[in-house]
Amino acid sequence: MNILSLLIFIPLLFALAIIVLPSSMRAGFKYITLLATLVQLGISIWMYLHFQTGGHFGGVNNEAQFQFVQKIPWIDLSLGNMGKMQVDYFVGIDGISITLVLMTSLVMVIAALASWEIKSNLKGFFSLFLLLNTAVIGVFCALDFFLFYIFYELMLLPLYFLIGMWGGARREYAAIKFFLYTLFGSVFMLLVMVGLYLSVKDPATGSHTFNIIQMMNPANYDQGSVFSVLAHKTILGMPARTVGFVVLFIAFAIKVPIVPLHTWLPDAHVEAPTPVSIILAGILLKVGGYGIIRICLGIFPEIASSGAFWLGLLGVISIIYGALNALAQRDLKRLIAYSSVSHMGFVLLGIASQTPEGISGALMQMVSHGFLSAMLFFLVGVVYNRVHDRDIYNFRGLGTLMPKYTTFVMIAFFASLGIPGLSAFIGEAFSLLGAFESSSVNGYLPYWMAICGSVGIILSAAYFLWTLQRMFFGTLSLKGGDVWKTALTDLDSREILALMPLALMTLVLGVMPSLVFDKINDSVLALVHFLK
Amino acid sequence: MHDLLPFLPGQLNQVLDGITLLIPELYLSGLFLVILVTDILFGKNSGWLCRILACAGLVVVLIKDLQQFGLVVNNGFPFFNEMLLLHRTSVTFKALIDIFSIILLLYFEWDDELRSHTKKLSGLYAIAIAAILGLHLMAMSINLLSIYLSIEMVSIASYLMVAYHTENKLSSEAGLKYVLFGAASSAVMLYGISLLYGFTGSLNLLTGNMLPGLLHTNAMAVSLAFALVFVGVGFKLSFVPMHFWVPDIYQGAPTPVSAFLSTVPKIATFCLLINFFIPFLYYPKWDMHDFKLALSAAGIVTMVAGNFAAVLQNNVKRMLAYSSIGHTGFALMALAAFNDAGKTALSFYLVAYSLASIGTWMLATYFADAAKAEDMTSYKGLGFKYPLAGVLFVILLISLTGIPLTAGFNGKLVVFSAAYSAYQQSHYIWTLLLMITGAVTTVVSLFYYIKIPLNLFLRKTERSAGFASPNKYLLASVAIITILVIYLGFFPDILLKNL
Repeated sequence: MNILSLLIFIPLLFALAIIVLPSSMRAGFKYITLLATLVQLGISIWMYLHFQTGGHFGGVNNEAQFQFVQKIPWIDLSLGNMGKMQVDYFVGIDGISITLVLMTSLVMVIAALASWEIKSNLKGFFSLFLLLNTAVIGVFCALDFFLFYIFYELMLLPLYFLIGMWGGARREYAAIKFFLYTLFGSVFMLLVMVGLYLSVKDPATGSHTFNIIQMMNPANYDQGSVFSVLAHKTILGMPARTVGFVVLFIAFAIKVPIVPLHTWLPDAHVEAPTPVSIILAGILLKVGGYGIIRICLGIFPEIASSGAFWLGLLGVISIIYGALNALAQRDLKRLIAYSSVSHMGFVLLGIASQTPEGISGALMQMVSHGFLSAMLFFLVGVVYNRVHDRDIYNFRGLGTLMPKYTTFVMIAFFASLGIPGLSAFIGEAFSLLGAFESSSVNGYLPYWMAICGSVGIILSAAYFLWTLQRMFFGTLSLKGGDVWKTALTDLDSREILALMPLALMTLVLGVMPSLVFDKINDSVLALVHFLK
Repeated sequence: MHDLLPFLPGQLNQVLDGITLLIPELYLSGLFLVILVTDILFGKNSGWLCRILACAGLVVVLIKDLQQFGLVVNNGFPFFNEMLLLHRTSVTFKALIDIFSIILLLYFEWDDELRSHTKKLSGLYAIAIAAILGLHLMAMSINLLSIYLSIEMVSIASYLMVAYHTENKLSSEAGLKYVLFGAASSAVMLYGISLLYGFTGSLNLLTGNMLPGLLHTNAMAVSLAFALVFVGVGFKLSFVPMHFWVPDIYQGAPTPVSAFLSTVPKIATFCLLINFFIPFLYYPKWDMHDFKLALSAAGIVTMVAGNFAAVLQNNVKRMLAYSSIGHTGFALMALAAFNDAGKTALSFYLVAYSLASIGTWMLATYFADAAKAEDMTSYKGLGFKYPLAGVLFVILLISLTGIPLTAGFNGKLVVFSAAYSAYQQSHYIWTLLLMITGAVTTVVSLFYYIKIPLNLFLRKTERSAGFASPNKYLLASVAIITILVIYLGFFPDILLKNL
């Protein structure tokens, strides 16, 4: 059994166990789920430790350099005069995915711990949770576009129900909005996927393939096919490859989310229950960033170069617009949701620079934001579970009432606003460095973009510090009076157990970013080399 | 008379030769008579016997169909003076019709409303078998006359089925509307056929003067005649603008009959269209451009109208009716590709659609029997009361939407592939528009399909009484259908290889 397939399908096995077990054992479901995520974490740590680095393990566009690969023929079909269609079960990881896989596994453990708050219909919740888990890990590992698409879509239905059944007051609206937005992006992605596979032939077998790595090689495209690099075909009067890139980019940009396609995010994050918010912010947003790097950049590198300015511009707009919106929020969860928009903007800016620093920064920022946003949403959940309120102005002076809680909040806030020594600083600094360097190295991004990005850091300092001041400093004053005062107990040991690893990761990655950079470096260099 | 005498032996031989190609249909005719006689001999309470006879008989017919595969490996056999054509596609479609008909005939009995009717079901089985015979003939027709006759045969049987129980106003209204609309559209079609006959002096599409004659006729007049013929076909296929009858009739008819109407006649009609276009496709001088344009335009309009109208519905059966219109539009995309891949894609898409569609109609019956639920709003919270049925419903609707790991997704994928490859060759703008419309309406379709899971699982009900426990066989067959849908989601090649 391939270790990577094990990693992907272990949650599914546990989900089946939960479905089969009688409902009378529902109290044990959360432990089963936790066990599944812990096993998964163990496997991914093992993989991280055994992940080879060096020039021969760059991956990206070189199939032989991927690690933990499993490739099994899946669908093999003759299409008559169109040739043959070939779909493989093809999974493998390189430096771009390894850190994201590890981050995902850890965040899943935290989300499982956060699921303690779920009280109704446990069987449904935990089986959907584990199904979602399989889907997200699968997305990061799939190297066949068909497989990737299946995992990508497989995330939708569990999430719809997770938000819709266990969410807040406006959960129906939030769930359907999320579903429709993502599906809108992905049906058009399906069209491009079909076009790509009909354009690409596997040189070894001569059949049309969904293999993403084969799609990166211009030589594999049929002459005269729609997406051929040399043929310069047009779709509706626009260059076909540009259309393909834009469609795929929109699909992933919805996930990231990038302004102006972000409007589903505040609703979904706010209405979702805490564990789902953690998964959404911590992991699902990275699927978007990962997709842009692996698929948009990988398959359409020349369009990514010529359109780098626009990518950077969208990144900067997301940074500034998200931060300004966060400043204006009263709802703590909404504030954090918008801060996600802002922080993910750095990812796009870093990617757009197409320099080693920028792309490393983008990957680092994704990992760091995965931990930080999980932590932030968990912290919001703590207050909300106790008093069912999260309006910033309804709390004051929490620092004296809940000292441990406040400590974690301060770590999370300071890390998020980019204090040196904590992880987000590294990610943002490298993204900005890449953006600065870009104008001299490849001329994609002008200087002012990097400067505007830095303004985003200042804005994030403003909203985080202001929130800290409003909610945690000063004399104790709560809207709910004494009832709230007794309800707002400090963190219990489960919550500390969940927050501690996240806080530690933030600190460790801030001090030793090499933990990430060492693993991703070869792949980033290979990618940058490939993009040139 | 004497002049004809020398030809008689030849003609007779042709008929006799043709009969060997008509074995499944002969069995069907026999089956029809047997069931009719059983009904008369044993009276009203012979429903169970008729059901067994009908299903067992259809299994035999199916076996006879499958035997025909050996006969038609790569070539087609026109017979009965080129009235009918037996080739691989028609055999495949006939087999599909039989398989789905068996499921549907089993399903008739499981509907409370239909079973409890005083008229009992034995008559319905006889009518259904007659309809299936008509469908078989539709799948083989290659002459305008046989096309017309087979369509009429199916139509008349359908009228009877829709109006089989007419105790309420809605149902009688549906029956009457269906007859009137059907009669009008077949009259229009007949007029079109008569025009074509007038232009060319022939009804035979395969050989004779039909195609050369049309090339020498005023193009405008030919287009008009074809448009009139397509009115009749469109009535059976329910593409826009011949779809107005669909929502009312599907809602008013007994649910199993709606399931019947929304699946097997469509399969037969698509086969009829494929047959119809074959002579034109292979006639070197004929420009397919107009057909492509007409099909593409009809497909786009049908997808848009069906899907957008479905969003507004509250009645589940009515919503399913509009969604079936939308699916017809999508299937037209595969037909409009006019390539081999399109033919395979069309068959696969129809299988995926029919499976999921029959499953959802069965579940509509299930919830109507269980909790008198017919509107979306009355589905509230029922998912917790009937978890298995609820989950199956979600999976089938996901398949109808076209989300991965279901047959519906692979159906969409192969149809898009066929359209894409057609586009890659011709760069025909309408094909591209078809694909874009298909993608957009997929998102729209999610919007209304998701309303059922929404009500089943996301909303709570205050209701605590009035729940019955419906037929277990019904649920079991939905479960089997769902497993098939998922299986085809994982391994589409198993079916695709054989289509």
